[in-house]
Amino acid sequence: MAQLSVPTVDYTQYSNRQLVAVPLALLAVALLVIGGWYLFTGAPANLGLEFVGGSELRIEDPGGNAAQQIDAAFTAEPDSVRQIAADDTYILTFSEGVVDTPDGGNQLSILEQQAEAAGFSIQASSSVSPSFGANTQTIALGGVLVAFLGMSVLVFVMFRSIAPSIAVIASAFSDVMLPLAIMNLLGINLSLGTVAALLMLIGYSVDSDILLNNSVLRESGDFYESTSRAMRTGVTMTLTSIAAMAVMTIAAYLFGIQIMTAIGIVLVVGLLADLMNTYLLNVSLLRWYVNRGVKA
Amino acid sequence: MIEKLKSNWRLTLLAVILLVSLFVVFSPTMAPQTNVGGENATTGDRLTNLQYGLDLAGGTRIRAPLIGMTAENVDIGNESTTNVAAAVANELPDSDTTDVSVRRGTLNGPTVEVVDPDVSESQFGDALDAAGYSYESIRDGLTQETRDEAINVIEGKVNQAGLSGASVQQVTDGTGFFMLIEVPGQDRSNVIDLIEQRGNVRIDIYHQNDAGEYVTERAVLTQNDFASISNARQPSSQNPNPRVPVSIRQDEGIAEEFQSAVVETGVAQQGGATCRYEENPQNTDPCLQLVVDGEVINSFGMNSDLANSMRSGEWAQSPSFVLTTTSFEEAQEIAINLRAGALPAPLAIDQGTTSFVSPTQGENFRTDSLIIGLLAILTVSGVVFARYREPQVALPMILTAFSEVLILLGFAAYLGYPLDLSVIASFIAVLGTGVDDLVIIADGVMAEGDVSSRRVFSSRFKKAFWVIGVAAATTIIAMSPLAVLSLGDLRGFAIFTILGVLVGVFVTRPAYGDILRNLLTER
Repeated sequence: MAQLSVPTVDYTQYSNRQLVAVPLALLAVALLVIGGWYLFTGAPANLGLEFVGGSELRIEDPGGNAAQQIDAAFTAEPDSVRQIAADDTYILTFSEGVVDTPDGGNQLSILEQQAEAAGFSIQASSSVSPSFGANTQTIALGGVLVAFLGMSVLVFVMFRSIAPSIAVIASAFSDVMLPLAIMNLLGINLSLGTVAALLMLIGYSVDSDILLNNSVLRESGDFYESTSRAMRTGVTMTLTSIAAMAVMTIAAYLFGIQIMTAIGIVLVVGLLADLMNTYLLNVSLLRWYVNRGVKA
Repeated sequence: MIEKLKSNWRLTLLAVILLVSLFVVFSPTMAPQTNVGGENATTGDRLTNLQYGLDLAGGTRIRAPLIGMTAENVDIGNESTTNVAAAVANELPDSDTTDVSVRRGTLNGPTVEVVDPDVSESQFGDALDAAGYSYESIRDGLTQETRDEAINVIEGKVNQAGLSGASVQQVTDGTGFFMLIEVPGQDRSNVIDLIEQRGNVRIDIYHQNDAGEYVTERAVLTQNDFASISNARQPSSQNPNPRVPVSIRQDEGIAEEFQSAVVETGVAQQGGATCRYEENPQNTDPCLQLVVDGEVINSFGMNSDLANSMRSGEWAQSPSFVLTTTSFEEAQEIAINLRAGALPAPLAIDQGTTSFVSPTQGENFRTDSLIIGLLAILTVSGVVFARYREPQVALPMILTAFSEVLILLGFAAYLGYPLDLSVIASFIAVLGTGVDDLVIIADGVMAEGDVSSRRVFSSRFKKAFWVIGVAAATTIIAMSPLAVLSLGDLRGFAIFTILGVLVGVFVTRPAYGDILRNLLTER
C-alpha cells in the first residue's frame, strides 16, 4: 500500500503577501463569478428544480431508440435527459409551465399520463411548485446565513482575539464561495442537497483551521514547528474526508442518486478549497498575528 | 477484571451502547408494531428493525397547503356559529356554507374562515361588513383547529381506503403551514385522487315547484345526517347499479324531515319516480341527486316500494337507503368521503411538492446506498492505513468510526425514524467527521515521541479534545437551521449529522482514547 506522507512546506521562503495572494485572488474571482451570475441571471447560482419549480420523471429504459421515443411521448421538450446506466433508467426534467394544464390540473400528472400512454414504466417522479420553490430559496439562504453567523460567534467566543478568529471566518467564507462559483462555471444546479453540503462545509472546514490556530496559539514550540504539526494532522483529516466524499459522489452519480451527488461534489470542491485556505490564507494571517510588533 | 472495566469505563460504555444498538436493530422483540389498518406495512424488512422512508421503500409523498383566509377577533356576540356562517356565505358570490366556518374560543378570539379559492381578501372583508360583523384583521391561512381537523379527515380517508402505514402531519416552513402526507407503496395519482377532493357529499332534490319550474332543493341530507355507511357494492342481478347502502339518523327528526321532503317534492309519489335528468332535465319526474363538492355525480328516482313506505311514514322507523352511482369507483369514493368526512378546506396540491418512488426503484436505492456506504468505509480505511501503517492505531480507528454509524442505526431503529437517502448521506458525513476527529486524537497523543505515562497521555488527550469539542459545536450550530426549518428532505440529514456528532463527542471518541492509552502506555 502506498505510504501517505504529508509534505512539509517551508513557509520561511514566502512572505505573508505571497502566501495570501493566491487564495485572495481566487476568492476575488469567485466573488466576481457569483456577482456576475447575479447580475445576468438574477440569482447567484444556477437554481435547480427544487428552487424554481418543475417536474422530474424517472422512467425505465424503453429500449431501442430511447431519445426518439422520449421525444415522441411528451408534448413538451424535457429540459434535460440523463441516462442512468446502473439501473437502466432515464431521468427527465421539465420546467414548470411547459405543459398546458387545463382547469388547474397538475403538470406532473399530465406528464405521467403521457409517459404511461407511451408505455414507459415510471420509477420515480417529483414536482415542486414555483411558489414553494421561491419559499425554499428564502429559507435556504436564511439557513446558510444563520449557520455562518452562529459559527462566527462561536469562533470569536472560543479564541477571544480578533485576528485568529477573522482568519478562521475568512477561510470558511472562501470555502463556501469557491464551490459555489465552480458549480456555476461547471453548470451544476443548486439543489437542496447543495445547501446541506454548504452547511456541512461550514462545520467541516472550521476543523482544520481550529486545529491550526490551537496548535500555534495554545501549544508549545515555535510557529513553524506548530504549523507543521497541525498540518500533518489537518491534511490527513481533510484528505480522508475528500476521499470518502469523492467516492460517494462518483458512486451516487452512477446510481443516479442526486441528493448524494450534490452533497458529495460540493464537499469535495469545498474541502479542496479548504486545504488552500487553511494552509495559505489562515497560516499567513496567523504568522502576521504572532509576529506583530516584530520587525520583519 | 472489574478494576479493568472501571479504568476503561469509556470503552465499556461504548461496548454497552453498541450491544444495545445491535439489539435494537436486529432483535425481533424490538420489531415495530404493525400499523393500524391490518396488513403489515411495507416500510420495514424482516432482517432488521429499520424502517425505510419513501426513497428506499417506494411510495408517495405530498406536501400541500390548505387554501383559506381567516378573519380574527370577529364580533359575533352570542349568535350561533351556524347562523353567522350562513350570513357570511350569503354575502359572498357563489359560496356555500361549507366554504365558511366559524369558531369560538380560538387563540385569536372568534374567527371566521373562508376556504373558497375564488374569494379575494377584499371580497371577504366586504362580506363581513355587509353581514354586519366587525373584525380585527384578515390573514392568509387557517386556524390550528381547522388544520387539526384536516389532518384527521385525511388520515380517515387514507385509512378508509385501506392504505396501511400512511402518515399525515403538519409542517411549517416558517411562512405557512403544509399538510405532509406520506403513503408507502402507492402511486402518486392514486393518492392525489384520494385527497384532492374535499369530499363534501350531500343529497339534493331536483323537482318542479308549484309554478311548474324545475328547481333544486339543496342539502336535504348532508354528511352529518348519516348514521351508518356500508361498504360500496358491485352491481348484482337484483340491483343493476353500483351503490352504497346507508342509514339515516333518527334523532332530531332527521329521518322524518327527509321523509317529508321526499314526499312533498314528489320523489316518493304514488308508484315511485323515474329520473330522466341526464337525458331530459326539463321533462322528468322529481329526482334525488348525489352531489360531491358541488358537482352532481348521479341522479336517481325511487322505486314504488320505497315510495310507499315513505308515504305511509313507516320508512322513518327504520330509515335505510341506497345511494346509487354510475361506477363502482365512484361508490367507493362516496363511501370513503362519507365515513372520513369532508376536508374543511381544499388542498392546493399545485402549490406544494409531490414525489413518488416506485417500490422497485426504492429497492434499487437501498442496494445502491448500501454499496456507497461500504465503498466510503473502504476508502476511509484505505487512507487511514496508508497514513498510519500501524494496524493497532488504524484498525481501532476504523472500528470506532464504524461503530458511530452502528449506534446511529440503533437510534433510527429505536425512534422508528424512516431511513431516507438524505439520512444515509448523513451517515457517510458522520463517518467522515468521525475519522477526522480520531486522527486529531491519534496525532495529538502520539506527537513528540513516546507516551510513557498516563499523565502525559491524559494531558495530550485533553488538548486534542478541546479542538474536537469546538469543531463539534460548529457543526451542530451549522446544521441546526436545517434541523429546525422544514426544508423538505434535509431534516433527516441534519438531525442525524447532529446526533452523530454528539455520539462521537460523548461516546466513541473518548473510547478511542481509552484504546490508544492501552496500546501506548502499557508497553
